[in-house]
Amino acid sequence: MSRILGRRPLLLAGGGLAGLAHPAIVGAQTTPPKPDRIVVNASGGAMNSIFRRSYFAAFEREHGIRVVDTSPVDFGKLRAMVESGNPEWTCTEIGGQDAVRAKEMNLLEPIDASVVDRSDYPDIARDSHILTASAYSTALGYRTDVFRDGSQPKGWAEFWDVRRFPGPRSLRNHPADNLEFALLADGVPMDQIYPIDLDRAFRSLDRIRPHITVWWSTGAQPAQLLVDREVVLASGWNGRFYELTRRGAPVATDFTGGSLKSGAFAIPRGTRQAYWGQRFLSVMTRPELQAIYTTEMGYPGLNRRTMDHVPAELHPLMCTAPENLEKQFWLNVDWWTANAAMAQERWNRWMLRR
Amino acid sequence: MRLDVQGIVKRFGAVTALNGVDLAVEEGEFLTILGPSGSGKTTLLKAVAGFEVPDAGTVRLGDRDVTTAPARHRNVGMVFQNYALFPHMTVAENLAFPLEMRGTGKAAIARRVAEALALVELGGYAERLPRQLSGGQQQRVALARAIIFDPSLLLLDEPFGALDRKLRESLQLEVRRLQRRLKLTTLFITHDQEEALVMSDRIAVMDQGRIQQLGTPGEIYDFPVTRFVANFIGESNLIEATAQGGRVSVPGFGTMTLPEAPAPGPVTLLLRPEALRLGAEAGAAACHATATVLESVFLGLSVKLRLQPEGAPEMLARLPLRPSDPPPAAEGSTITIGFRPEDVHVVPRG
Amino acid sequence: MSSPAARRERALLLMGLPALLLLGVLFAWPVLRLLSMSVEDGSLEHLQRAVLDDLYLAVLFDSLKIAGFVTVICLVIAYPLAFWLSRASKIGLALGMFALLLPFWTSVLVRTYAWMVLLGRSGVINRMLRDWGLIESPLPLLHNLGGVLIGMVHVLLPYMVLPIYAALLRIDPDLPRAAEGLGAPRSAIFRRVILPLSLPGVAAGCALVFVLSLGFFITPALLGGGRVIMIAMLIEQQVRELLDWPFAAALSVVLLAVTLAIYAAINRLTKGARLAS
Repeated sequence: MSRILGRRPLLLAGGGLAGLAHPAIVGAQTTPPKPDRIVVNASGGAMNSIFRRSYFAAFEREHGIRVVDTSPVDFGKLRAMVESGNPEWTCTEIGGQDAVRAKEMNLLEPIDASVVDRSDYPDIARDSHILTASAYSTALGYRTDVFRDGSQPKGWAEFWDVRRFPGPRSLRNHPADNLEFALLADGVPMDQIYPIDLDRAFRSLDRIRPHITVWWSTGAQPAQLLVDREVVLASGWNGRFYELTRRGAPVATDFTGGSLKSGAFAIPRGTRQAYWGQRFLSVMTRPELQAIYTTEMGYPGLNRRTMDHVPAELHPLMCTAPENLEKQFWLNVDWWTANAAMAQERWNRWMLRR
Repeated sequence: MRLDVQGIVKRFGAVTALNGVDLAVEEGEFLTILGPSGSGKTTLLKAVAGFEVPDAGTVRLGDRDVTTAPARHRNVGMVFQNYALFPHMTVAENLAFPLEMRGTGKAAIARRVAEALALVELGGYAERLPRQLSGGQQQRVALARAIIFDPSLLLLDEPFGALDRKLRESLQLEVRRLQRRLKLTTLFITHDQEEALVMSDRIAVMDQGRIQQLGTPGEIYDFPVTRFVANFIGESNLIEATAQGGRVSVPGFGTMTLPEAPAPGPVTLLLRPEALRLGAEAGAAACHATATVLESVFLGLSVKLRLQPEGAPEMLARLPLRPSDPPPAAEGSTITIGFRPEDVHVVPRG
Repeated sequence: MSSPAARRERALLLMGLPALLLLGVLFAWPVLRLLSMSVEDGSLEHLQRAVLDDLYLAVLFDSLKIAGFVTVICLVIAYPLAFWLSRASKIGLALGMFALLLPFWTSVLVRTYAWMVLLGRSGVINRMLRDWGLIESPLPLLHNLGGVLIGMVHVLLPYMVLPIYAALLRIDPDLPRAAEGLGAPRSAIFRRVILPLSLPGVAAGCALVFVLSLGFFITPALLGGGRVIMIAMLIEQQVRELLDWPFAAALSVVLLAVTLAIYAAINRLTKGARLAS
């Protein structure tokens, strides 16, 4: 009787039992009944429409189950849903740093390796509960009409150098990335960023602070600020700059010192359609579908064969292109998981200081 | 102060509210503008008060032309239909307001407020808010506020409309007494003809933006100059008759000779219900007829009869009653009715 | 036996019951949950931190200050506007209301972008000023406290205008007329009659705008350029990002308490005015 899917949330309520109970359930099974729909929660906007053309369309075609998309990505809501015992989402995107915490807080279903095949993924992207969907980077965006012919600042030490590279700038109103950038600007080598020396990082931030016109809070802001010439340099998600470059706006990306992260998808624990969530994640691993997303968004999928399906001229614009990869560092999720609250509070204090 | 209104015209779009009004209120006189709603009386009041500027004509107060003067410079006291007491001010503050606007000193204000309150018998109410007063008390506060600053003219805009009958009658008398005592030139607006008859020195009956007739209550009642005035004031029997060769023939009633012979042709005769005679007295009258009593209404001091004469339209009669009198005629009975030439008034045509 | 008045009161209560129930379920219950969450494990630690830590005190104080600024600016703009609307022609009223309520129909992102187009470094206003030679380099109109105030006033203005407008409409037109007839010049009519009678609307508007201001977090984040921190932004951060719900609850409880206290104060201050009308 423990094989009845609907009982699972009850069984899992014990928390510690979860790991034990689970393999027994998925092992020998028949396909559970089809719901009329599943709910996939993601960042929204352009991303969801590309999802619809790629993953959603394939899933709907193959299984005859409608995919409803919601947004935005919201860690607090995920926790509230799981704790209330009936998550509305079948699958959800989770912000890079939050995925590990979500797993630690027991908010996620384990990924069923028999359904989701990740043999073509790099080892680091085969987490037990998290599907690493794509990589992205917080990189340096700049106006190509202000910094012509490769005269843009390369890396954060140059971004900090307001005399050589004058003009208004924007950074994210958040400690993540910025503390790393501040250390890089202060001469810390890329492989010695962690553990972060907060005092040193904030001292370095003190120096750039008067030159930041906008501390941005949504991903759309830095792109808009560059387009409007509100600033000439900005940190931002590389996909936002990629989109502007492809549309012909005078905006380009410099990956030097970029902060690499991975976008993650997972299944909220206790969701009723968990099986179909596994099926959906399996659709998300396909290279030809990932290629559609990669081409449109500039966020490469992690299946090794994905880039085979992406036009060659776009490869250099990807954060995972070999020549870009070596200029960047991977954000240390463990450090952030342990220190987020403390770093955030210190950041708030620092922002408040006038 | 004397009020003199000449040739006032006021239009609102296509509607002519006042169509050439001439009116003079003598110093200390109580003059009533009586008319149905829509007759223009409120517009006339606003033109006098300074809330409307007329399209043509002049308004003079004493020897001053105030036609275009703003209301605050006219020194006119006004009691509004709903009193327009300031709800956030106490009674005393309401009364002090016009004095403060005139720069009266604090001590003088206190004294005059106390006097005015005593005048309207509201001595103990100075610190009340208007909504803590009854309708009659509010009305007296409004009156006190309108006269406390010695206005050149007092305007009363249907001030008794919201009160019950008993209170209305006692306040009518009180206002009249006060007006006489203070010799206030007063213009009173009402649609209630009884009120007008009780209170006024003179009445101006208005209709369709014009003054139809101006005269003492007696003149207006006994000698209305138009059918409208005859109908509007009191109850009336209007009889269509024909004049020929010095005599007037009334269908169903016969012929009679009037003290003053009207011009030949159709004439309208006004016969007040109390002038209609019944029974033997009627048979002796020059004009009489047989009539059926359709309805008999007991009114306390009188009885009102609705009658159907043979060969003539319905008529009304009103008979005085003493307590022991038997009912004069039962419903459905047949009686003789008639009238004498001296009780009939010829209503001028036009 | 119950008096007619008591019976009427009971009937009124009965009619209000659905609304009360709804409020109870949708409002009182979550607030109680919030309260209990803030003292999770019977510990006052979170509340102590929310009340005593200078960071949160400073942000709370800033938030109150900003809410106060927004309220005052709204009032200064709203009163003449409401006054004009209460005397406007039908067309003027329709146009005025449309313009006033327009921000309700646009998303915060669209509004923010519109302000950037207008007030940005290369926005319409800065370009005009530069073209006229009035300034050398662009004025910082956005991404600071000024930007936040502009954005918040824009959205909150209707909450100030509408109660004042309603209060002005409720004034019997005979009252200013009576005042004029009693010799009052325009200024005195306004000061002595119209203003005091519209005070209940002013109080309602101020309370609404002030309380709503305290809850703002998107507009200040977007238009403040990161320089303006309001308490609701920190609560949102705790709830959505750091998942420290007990502390978020503690901050919310502090905000709620301060809000209620200020609301009570406004109520008390204007009680006299309301009684009179």
